Amino acid sequence: MAKFTLPPHSVIQKGHTVNHLDNPQHPKKFIIYRWDPNTGGQPRTDTYEIDLAHCGPMVLDALLKIKNEIDSTLTFRRSCREGICGSCAMNIDGTNTLACTKAIADIKGPVKIYPLPHLEIMRDLVPDLTYFYSQYASIKPWIQVHTALPPDHEMLQSKQDRAKLDGLYECILCACCSTSCPSYWWNGDRYLGPAILLQAYRWIMDSRDEDTGERLDNLEDPFRLYRCHTIMNCTNTCPKGLNPAKAIAEIKKMLVQRR
Amino acid sequence: MRLRSHLAKIRGLGSARAGTEEFISQRLTAIALIPLLLWFVTALISLAGADYDTAVEWIRRPVVTTFLILLILVLFHHAHSGLREVLEDYIHHEIIKTIAMVSMKFLIITITVGSVLAILRIALGN
Amino acid sequence: MTTTPPSPLSPHLQIYKPQLTSLMSITHRATGIFLSLGTLVLVYWLMSIAAGPSVYQHAQQLLHTWPSLLLLFAWSFSLFYHLCNGIRHLFWDAGYGFTLKATYRSGYLVIAATLLLTTTAWITAFVINGVL
Repeated sequence: MAKFTLPPHSVIQKGHTVNHLDNPQHPKKFIIYRWDPNTGGQPRTDTYEIDLAHCGPMVLDALLKIKNEIDSTLTFRRSCREGICGSCAMNIDGTNTLACTKAIADIKGPVKIYPLPHLEIMRDLVPDLTYFYSQYASIKPWIQVHTALPPDHEMLQSKQDRAKLDGLYECILCACCSTSCPSYWWNGDRYLGPAILLQAYRWIMDSRDEDTGERLDNLEDPFRLYRCHTIMNCTNTCPKGLNPAKAIAEIKKMLVQRR
Repeated sequence: MRLRSHLAKIRGLGSARAGTEEFISQRLTAIALIPLLLWFVTALISLAGADYDTAVEWIRRPVVTTFLILLILVLFHHAHSGLREVLEDYIHHEIIKTIAMVSMKFLIITITVGSVLAILRIALGN
Repeated sequence: MTTTPPSPLSPHLQIYKPQLTSLMSITHRATGIFLSLGTLVLVYWLMSIAAGPSVYQHAQQLLHTWPSLLLLFAWSFSLFYHLCNGIRHLFWDAGYGFTLKATYRSGYLVIAATLLLTTTAWITAFVINGVL
């Protein structure tokens, strides 16, 4: 039976308030999920208070301020700080997004920060994404050809064909969409999820690729593709404004078309 | 420390190369159900509180008999598809899932046959 | 080698913000399941006609009690919701209406249409029955 409740060792306990500010100009509370593999036990939520008058505008700025000045044990992934690497994907204020592009001012009340949903947690806000990456590898994200490659120049592509990749190539594989999908929560072991299906569609739509049929064969499966019920949480949450739901619908249309 | 990548598990037994047939038939039955249900609901409302003879007379009309039988067949096919999806989503224990699916399928087939028989008995009976 | 504690699973339903997208989708599923159960009553009604006037009379009485009418109301609401949202799904399957704007607009439209159709159906039924 799909488990709608958290397993016993994952139930969140109330943590503690880590710091108090004297005379803050613009105070804001941050309630953050914590778990340490070294101490084990149940995960908890700790509360931090920072002064937004001395903090950058984005949630990532707040996380870095907390780590630098209040609690250096707070652990999270981050890199580019400009919404292009996908490292800082997490659940902020109830929806999945990138911490570096989520403005603190957009959130009323205390900012609740959790890791991406329904994933094994390695530490604090760091989930284990290896299965997600393996699912990406399984769709063979590279050009496959049956004809000989031209020896003296690149494989050419018209502007119109290149335009078909717009809205698909920009995916940064942050996993916000897949981990927002209830179907991926219940069947993530067999369902590929919106991120991977969007990328599968990217390679299907690439005019230089000659293995479209085989790619469609590999997707045509009651679990790999057809666990998508057009719930549309994915498009709602994509921090890059992409539309995985539409890409999945187009794959389904192609499968109908080729009958 | 993992000894192997997850790729073998994800590739599993390979793609079933199936699912499109169910997808198409679910949409076809959905499209068919739009006019069928709108007709049926309108008829039910106009028949609200009708007596026995009125109900029988209505069912005996050839057009009504035809559409009632079509409604039953299409409705239960659509219901079966939908419920199958629900069971697939939530039940992961293979044996329990199989028992649930087969039981549901048999139940729906039985109800379908029973309903069509009831309609025919009314339409062709005394 | 010391054993590492089992990794917790990050919370999902417990913390994810309910949105129009997910709420309407689960309602579509819930109404579908409720409608399937309701068809058993439809079958019972059909079989009661086939069984003769006295059985039909008994069935009609049963179906006109307050609990039955309440369930019938819920079933009709479910029917109209599932029908309207089903049409929304068919547009999606054809590839239309996938922008967030269109999704939210069509979602509100489905809710409005459901309320309109349900109230119209019941008012009409009561008028025909002479109650109103």
